[in-house]
Amino acid sequence: MKKWLVSALGVLSILSAGQVFGVEGVRVNGFLTAGATYADTAPCLGNTPCTVAPGRGLVSQDGNIANKVGFTNDSRFGLQISAKINSKVDLTGQLLSRARDNNDYAMKANWAFVTYHLTDPLAIRAGKLKLTTFLISDYIEVGYAYPWIRPPQEVYYSNPISTMNGVDMLYRFNLGRFSLLLQPYYGASSGGQALVPQEVVGGVPQIQPNPAPPPYYNVVPSPAGTIAYTSFTADSMYGINVSGGTNAFTLRAGYLKTLVSAPAFNVTNKTATFSSVGGSMDWMNVVLYAEYFQRRIEQGANAAFPDQKGWYTTLGYRIGKFLPNVTFAKLEDNNNPPNGGNPFTTGYGTPLEQSSVTGGIRYELGTGADIKFEAEDVKPLNGTRGLLIGPLPAGKSHVMIYSVALDLVF
Amino acid sequence: MVRLLKKLAVLLLVIAGFSGAMNVANAALAIIGNPANPLEGISAADVAMIYLGKSDEFPDGRRVVAVDQYRHSPVRAEFYRKVVGMGPVEIKSYWSKLIFSGKGQPPQNVGGNEAVKRWVASHPNGLGYVDGKVLDRTVKVLLIVP
Repeated sequence: MKKWLVSALGVLSILSAGQVFGVEGVRVNGFLTAGATYADTAPCLGNTPCTVAPGRGLVSQDGNIANKVGFTNDSRFGLQISAKINSKVDLTGQLLSRARDNNDYAMKANWAFVTYHLTDPLAIRAGKLKLTTFLISDYIEVGYAYPWIRPPQEVYYSNPISTMNGVDMLYRFNLGRFSLLLQPYYGASSGGQALVPQEVVGGVPQIQPNPAPPPYYNVVPSPAGTIAYTSFTADSMYGINVSGGTNAFTLRAGYLKTLVSAPAFNVTNKTATFSSVGGSMDWMNVVLYAEYFQRRIEQGANAAFPDQKGWYTTLGYRIGKFLPNVTFAKLEDNNNPPNGGNPFTTGYGTPLEQSSVTGGIRYELGTGADIKFEAEDVKPLNGTRGLLIGPLPAGKSHVMIYSVALDLVF
Repeated sequence: MVRLLKKLAVLLLVIAGFSGAMNVANAALAIIGNPANPLEGISAADVAMIYLGKSDEFPDGRRVVAVDQYRHSPVRAEFYRKVVGMGPVEIKSYWSKLIFSGKGQPPQNVGGNEAVKRWVASHPNGLGYVDGKVLDRTVKVLLIVP
């Protein structure tokens, strides 16, 4: 965290002192979120049933939120440079440094692409692009641009693919005050790491290929608390996003289809689809967000990536510089194929279900900065661990996660 | 003598009228284009679409490059409030979403009234807004916002 902050401040001071990029046609923009989290209950770790919380343990499934004050979950810093080559062509690149990518606070290229403005309504972009699965996926790292400290995990955690190498098209229509944006895309994503359910990663080798599908393979659970990532690629990825609205209202629908391969799970070119609908409104001081998604993955591959569906609704009301808000969210199993009562030996998806209620408040600090506070009540459902790192100790049915964050854009 | 008084009165009226007009100009915001711009005028709605990055073109289909005043300029705040209908925080939030998703960039800041006027005067496809009191023949008024 400290190292991360020092590097962030270093880049900031170079920028402000030098005005290196004051050239016409070159823009530098940046964003920063510094956040702290604390969870009041630690789930059980290990194999044995536990009755007492181990204390000061990890809480969220990726281990970034714990039963102690931590700074890694939400803190990040990004820098974006865009250059106008001529009236038709722009170059845009974004560097990102996240405290959660521990050990290495170096800035990484988040995306970089060239935009070709064909005509007024039509632009084509090619390169490494942000994948727009949901309403705010495009700017998910930019805390200032949305009301929460982190977008509802029940929806936003569901797609481990955040960028793609490929091409997209932005086609914009204006009909009076109403505008419509069509964004078809095609590409691939490789080198990605996805968190996989601990329920399927036990044993060495973790997955034994099984001769006749189904089942594709036998999986062995790991002890609760295991954090396991797998490398995956997503090929032949195509989809479309359609969004429309006025300055105050946006409605959006998206569809994405790709072929997923994860060698560690003996998964090769299995079809995965994401469908989502959602909308947002910021009108007469009322702020509203709502989204619903479904993720479906071909039989056999859903051991690592279970079929899921989820939704959230956020309602807020601006009172001067304050935006108090409340969010209801739920993640559910999306009718994974029947598994004969033992999900671990048939290769079918592990149900991970939870609901949460979050109360938050955002306060504007002038223009381009805010501070937020949140209290999130997370409840794992139907005997699953939800998005927590393990089952809750006996007598506990929910976890409170408290967060504070400062967001800047410049 | 009466004639002289009449002349004086007319003169006073003209001056009063002039300064009245000047006052109106002082209070008004002017949307300006280059003198070479063939448009006779532009609607506030079209200006808003251009400043929100939803259109890159003048209503007649020619390409437009709009410029902004510096960040804390009172004229800028007035322009966004009256023409676009958004406050500074709303505008910042609106552009944050577009900038960081790589979908657009807001108009470039070129400075205050004089700088915007000079910029528009030297760019045939330029569009800007200035305080009415700095208007002169180097730019063409496309819309007066009272």
